[in-house]
Amino acid sequence: MILIASEFGQLALAHYLLLSGVLFTIGLVGFLSRRNLIVMFLCTELMFQAAAIAMVAAGRYYFDFSGQVFVIFILTVAAAEAALALALVVLLYRRKPTLNAEDWRDLRE
Amino acid sequence: MLSTILWGHDAPGKPGGLEPFGLVTMDGILPYIECLAVVVALYLLVGRGGRGTKVLGVLGGFASLAWIYVMAGESIAGGDGVAREVLFLIFSAIAISAAVRMITHDRPVYSAINFVFVILSSAGLFLLLEAEFMAFALVIVYAGAVLVTYMFVLMLAQQASSPDKVTEVPEYDRLAREPAAAVTVGFIFLATIFGSIYQGIPDLPPPAGTHDRNVTRAEVLEGLPRQFRSAVESVSPTFQWPPAENADGRLIRVDEEGLYVVGKVETGASRAVRIPDDAGPRNTQFVGWDLVARFPASLELAGIILLLAMFGAVILARRQIELGEDELRESVGMPRIHDWDDDDTSLDEEGAAT
Repeated sequence: MILIASEFGQLALAHYLLLSGVLFTIGLVGFLSRRNLIVMFLCTELMFQAAAIAMVAAGRYYFDFSGQVFVIFILTVAAAEAALALALVVLLYRRKPTLNAEDWRDLRE
Repeated sequence: MLSTILWGHDAPGKPGGLEPFGLVTMDGILPYIECLAVVVALYLLVGRGGRGTKVLGVLGGFASLAWIYVMAGESIAGGDGVAREVLFLIFSAIAISAAVRMITHDRPVYSAINFVFVILSSAGLFLLLEAEFMAFALVIVYAGAVLVTYMFVLMLAQQASSPDKVTEVPEYDRLAREPAAAVTVGFIFLATIFGSIYQGIPDLPPPAGTHDRNVTRAEVLEGLPRQFRSAVESVSPTFQWPPAENADGRLIRVDEEGLYVVGKVETGASRAVRIPDDAGPRNTQFVGWDLVARFPASLELAGIILLLAMFGAVILARRQIELGEDELRESVGMPRIHDWDDDDTSLDEEGAAT
């Protein structure tokens, strides 16, 4: 079985890009419309995921593996972001036991 | 007239100028109507409507996704990639419905679980794209590590103050914030993406052909001497190592049919030995090669980012302890101010011990 040399298949790059666009939009809408801090961060992870799908698909299309390498970096950034963001959430939660983003409006001042 | 507005040209389905892109190109407003259908379905789902509205949103969402798929110009029936197409449909349907469920569910824990489904189905899509390493790394890192962190914080933050309140969902989880504004932003974003995809991107180079692939394969295979040698020797056991270099100083030559080397065999005659297609580097080897040979500095930077994130998380989440004057004095080895009597005895004991 040749995993590398086979053709892209009936599916075109466009299918993956469309899927990735839809997933990114869902993440964007979720980020803007949810009020729970943790779910908002989950939505950013969803957007990372959509970007990863687009990168892997484009890399497959051009037979260029830097697409996948950059997905590794996306994973790194996502993991770092999750650790820091959740540490911040824990810190905020200790001050005021709520996850409602709107309760932290005063942070912008 | 109408079809020109909608599709951008007269005959619907007529392939545009960008066939390698695999899509019927169009300049009309139909892609934007499609985006509108998607975000209206999203609005029905995230909005504040009742159960009937949500059912309508689900149906509308599936209908508009099916529409996108049909419009994307590929039919499921026929062709070699039927299994692949069906799998793509299944995985993308799971991914999108789990993503929608994730942003609409009342309870954050269920949102996180739905996100696991998104991860698993995109791992499936990565397998379809022959990116095995990324698929498994995704499951391990995301579903394994990141999601556990999320779950941990969710459980920490959602402790019910009393057992009676377990079933109560807070108001800020039930009601969306500005769903109309959110889907408007989503629509603008989606319309930009869909518009550029459907119109075709003029500067997009064509996909890699067989020759490009073989050149990449040859480059990487030459960097893997042991695998290279055993691939050659599995075909021609008496091959005299090393093979002859070509004009560019390369050991592996590339032609229309694939990769080959030229060198002497046992009889002394020089001949070409073709390297079998399945001997070439696999996806994981390609990724490893790119990671280390092309992006070494980025790799180091990724390590530094992780290290700093770890420090940051530890420092941020550490519980702040208010140190009194006595503790501060003690930490630098000075005697306490208060309770002289107790401290004197302890100091005496320490002195005796040392």
